[in-house]
Amino acid sequence: MELMNPLLVYGLVALGGIGVALALPRKALGPQLAGAVIAAAAGGIMVLLLTLKGVQSNQFTNIYFYIFGAIALGGALRVITHAKPVYAALYFILTILATAGLFLILSAEFMAFALIIVYAGAILITYLFVIMLATQAPEENIEYLAEYDVKSREPIVATVVGFVLLGVLTALMFRGSQSLPVAKADAAPALLTEMPRKVERVLKENGLLQEGERVEMVGSGDVARMNMDLEGGTIAIMSADGSRRMIERAVWPEELKTLNIEALGFNLLRDHPGAIEIAGVILLMAMLGAVVLSRKQVQIDEELKMQQAQKLGMSMDVSPSAPVQSAESLAAQMASNAAAKAEGGA
Amino acid sequence: MNDIPGSLNMLAQSGYPEIMGQVTLMHYLVVSMVMFVLGLIGFLTRRNLIIMFLCTELMFQAAGIALIAFGRYHMDFTGQTFVIFVLTVAAAEAAMGLALIVLLFRRSDSLDAEVWSEMKG
Repeated sequence: MELMNPLLVYGLVALGGIGVALALPRKALGPQLAGAVIAAAAGGIMVLLLTLKGVQSNQFTNIYFYIFGAIALGGALRVITHAKPVYAALYFILTILATAGLFLILSAEFMAFALIIVYAGAILITYLFVIMLATQAPEENIEYLAEYDVKSREPIVATVVGFVLLGVLTALMFRGSQSLPVAKADAAPALLTEMPRKVERVLKENGLLQEGERVEMVGSGDVARMNMDLEGGTIAIMSADGSRRMIERAVWPEELKTLNIEALGFNLLRDHPGAIEIAGVILLMAMLGAVVLSRKQVQIDEELKMQQAQKLGMSMDVSPSAPVQSAESLAAQMASNAAAKAEGGA
Repeated sequence: MNDIPGSLNMLAQSGYPEIMGQVTLMHYLVVSMVMFVLGLIGFLTRRNLIIMFLCTELMFQAAGIALIAFGRYHMDFTGQTFVIFVLTVAAAEAAMGLALIVLLFRRSDSLDAEVWSEMKG
């Protein structure tokens, strides 16, 4: 299934490239605005064509996709074109929020909120701190911008490289693929077999489970894994007197389905336990590395060291619990230090 | 996907109720690719070290969108799981990178990447 004519794609990508090249930071404001408008027009035409294609094949896209997508890409464009670093970081936060919206539409709720908390809440605040520490305008001119913020490096070449990549990627993608597999519609029962207590609670709330009864098993349709042969989605219920009855998939209550966070938890902790350990090690190494790298090395000259050693020695003499040995060795060291200093002076 | 545009039930769902079509997947991939390329261009053109780092984060975001869109398309959670690891790597990278930038700033008193264009080794 060819989704779009490659020539049209290349044309639109070239137009977008011209727009972005114009929008990059420069002294004059006019070209920047014009560039942003051209880039937005190119992106808009491409999405419009895609939407028409979707309407043809009866695949409608959520209207919120267009809103969040436009905000995300507009924010991204502003991140790379804004001359002031603090504003660039704030626009990046806007991009993150819009991306979280896209994740919500893709029904990845946990990731959407994790993104906001981790990225917008933690990482970007660190960025803002570093920006504010490192860039300070001189007092007489608040509007001062550093030269390296206003002038970009090789804007034409970089844009050509980037948009050639984009053109090749989009053209290849729009040729479409027959071989993309279509997934099973209902993956929920497979995970619910792992959560009989949740099934029990939901059934009880819906009055399908009497007092004294408990869920024995939720059928996954996977005969090899279970001793008992149950159809996928059939729930076996054991009552107090040992008799057994079944609840078919068709009469499941509406609420009985796997939540995003449950499925994600199973996937994360059951299928990728090793990766989590490695992620923990990576975070630990990064923390140690950051502490070691950004530690300030204070240069203390000999005289100051002597003074400190003297102070330390005196306090050690006074305190009764201090070991005599160390005070003595400290005094010896001080004496040798003083001798060395005297020699150097002579 | 017979969801009419603008209806709210796409936002309110919690499971994986509907199969996503190929054209819908393409929408998300276009956003992801454009964002990635914007990050790439920003990384190449900007001279402020911190903005260059922000642009790498932009590329991480783009990869995350692609991962989650493909995961949704295949009705599989591994895509979302890997976005968690992308977040982890991004956090680690930000910590190390910003520490390095602070170090470089102390040495040269400037955030310009061009200052470091000639290095030993």
